[in-house]
Amino acid sequence: MTRSFSLLAIAFASALLLLAQAPTPAPPNPANQATLRAAAGDKTITVAHQNGNTYFAADEVIASLGGSVTRDGNGFKASLNNTVAAFGTDSRFGVVKDDLIEMPVAPVTIDNRPFVPWQFFQGFLIRASGLDATWDAAGKILQVHPAQTTAAGVTVSVANVQGISKVVLTLTAPVDYSIVKEPGAYTVRFKTAIRAPYVEQAQDDPNVARTSFIGNDLRIQLTVPDVVADAYRLENPFRVVLDLRKGAAVAPGTPQPLNSTRPVESPGIHTIVIDPGHGGKEVGAIGPGGLMEKDATLALCRRLAAALEAKLKTRVVLTRNDDTVVPLDQRTAIANQYHADLFISIHMNAAIVKGAHGAETYFLSLDASDKLAEKAAELENASKNPAGPAASSDLKLMLWDLAQQEYLNESSRLAQAVQEEMNRITGIQSRGVKQAPFKVLVGATMPAALVEVAFITNPDEESKIKSDAFQKTVVDALTTAVERYKTDYETRIGIVQPTPVAPTTTAPAAPTTTATKPMTRTGT
Amino acid sequence: MLSLAILIIASGCKKKPLSQNLNAENKVEVRPVTLFFEGPELLLVRETRNVGLPENPAGALSIVTRELLKGSSNAGVPPIFPRDTVVRATFLLPDGTAFIDLGGNTLTQGWGTGSHEELMAVYSVVQTVTTNFPDAKRVRILVNDEPAETLAGHVNLSRALLPSATYVAR
Repeated sequence: MTRSFSLLAIAFASALLLLAQAPTPAPPNPANQATLRAAAGDKTITVAHQNGNTYFAADEVIASLGGSVTRDGNGFKASLNNTVAAFGTDSRFGVVKDDLIEMPVAPVTIDNRPFVPWQFFQGFLIRASGLDATWDAAGKILQVHPAQTTAAGVTVSVANVQGISKVVLTLTAPVDYSIVKEPGAYTVRFKTAIRAPYVEQAQDDPNVARTSFIGNDLRIQLTVPDVVADAYRLENPFRVVLDLRKGAAVAPGTPQPLNSTRPVESPGIHTIVIDPGHGGKEVGAIGPGGLMEKDATLALCRRLAAALEAKLKTRVVLTRNDDTVVPLDQRTAIANQYHADLFISIHMNAAIVKGAHGAETYFLSLDASDKLAEKAAELENASKNPAGPAASSDLKLMLWDLAQQEYLNESSRLAQAVQEEMNRITGIQSRGVKQAPFKVLVGATMPAALVEVAFITNPDEESKIKSDAFQKTVVDALTTAVERYKTDYETRIGIVQPTPVAPTTTAPAAPTTTATKPMTRTGT
Repeated sequence: MLSLAILIIASGCKKKPLSQNLNAENKVEVRPVTLFFEGPELLLVRETRNVGLPENPAGALSIVTRELLKGSSNAGVPPIFPRDTVVRATFLLPDGTAFIDLGGNTLTQGWGTGSHEELMAVYSVVQTVTTNFPDAKRVRILVNDEPAETLAGHVNLSRALLPSATYVAR
């Protein structure tokens, strides 16, 4: 018994000794840990904090999901489900498939391991596995979950146009929402799930201090309390626009739900938006005599607006009426906001080839129709086996292209009329009607054309552009062209009786769409 | 650096490298390349030039694009891009999208030119890349490693561009 007790005591003492000699595990550091919550369960992952940003150990997270992260050259590559993304510490953009993954800051390396912002996982997983990632900073949980196919992606742009701050929320799908005025802020409450592009972003704007996403709400923090908003929505793509300007305060807390649709407009040409190219620090081309394109286009457009209003009795809106920068997407947003029936952007051309001269008129070019058909077939196949938001995004893109096609035929007719009258009335050489992927024409939900009046880089044409007489003939030509198009269009849709005089309009060669229907828009 | 990493990945993922000799990736061979510059008719014209290129197409893409920015060997043909434009990086993804990352003070500060010149510049890159690299089906141009709206206020760069014969002299 005594012997047994001694053996037990020795064993116990040995155990204590072993315990005392065993290496002590490092105490957990909660500050550098977070929880990865995925289908397989919760797992502790390593995080790091630098300069106010939180970074996640990419290798741990991706490995937990069945993939891997390896060093590749001076960067890293993440692999999951045969999808490869590349990223490095010198760029806040990663690359996956043919797209970019945007992160608020560039990844970092710590102890030779890659650490990335959580947005990397959001961008990568959604393409690699149909998963989405969200970061709950308060709970320190990085949640990976199936992407909600119904969740609409949203992007935010803020720009000040002639004293009005335009907040444009572009969504990948129509979403019901309401807008609530709160003290010092407006909140857009989306009634279904959205994919927020960021948590919070400061805005360099006189009326908007910052924008932040909380769940499915977007909070627009104002710089001063007496900012009022006009809100409306635009289609194709679906956008929610808030025009914010200083004015009388609205009663705090008053919900201001937006009508989902607006009355259908009557067919015909009632409103024309004229867009003077460039402006502000974006001077455009400069002639050998120093004439700046931004000044030439503004002077011409002011005269054109007056002439169109006087002759056609239509409402004419300028996208800018002073020397300010107006972002390209805001220019068509203005046209859509005013329910414009035509959008005409005025520019002066430039060439390095000496002697380049003449006028040309553009309308938007999209991918070739066979490309669209090819993509449609791909997507039809994909829809049988839903591939998640990536395919959905492609589908939206294609539908957007197709929506644009609806206006291309009319844009072609408008461009043809402009080019013919420019050549006939001004005598300037015709360089023809062309198509190009011009940014300012993307997003216009109406016939749209861009006119290159003359080459400002040609000394002779620069002199012409400056001259009052030439400006007047150009205004005459453009006014006549718009009038001709208006009559032609309104005759074709049956609201104007055809005249017995043979029309001088030359039927445009392309695009080949033949069906013409009244262009009425709702919800704009 | 990022681009370099991507370049390596892209080359590793490509299904059909230019050379069938996979052991000769670093071998440099002088080969004819077709570059596109603006001709007197205000359209792009071809110029063939012999350039030393690595077998690896991802590496060759960068060299060919830089060769384009050097301008035409014909002194009478002015350069399309601002003289300070540089190719920061290039990469070719397995799906056929080539990314060309441009930089330089003028593009960074804002290039003041007309739509014609911008079209010529953009499509000189698109045509050069897609002509010399059959696996490159479309071209996305970045500026300073970031997506760019346009180079000079006109041509939409937010999507990859397909080659277009519209801008090329017949």
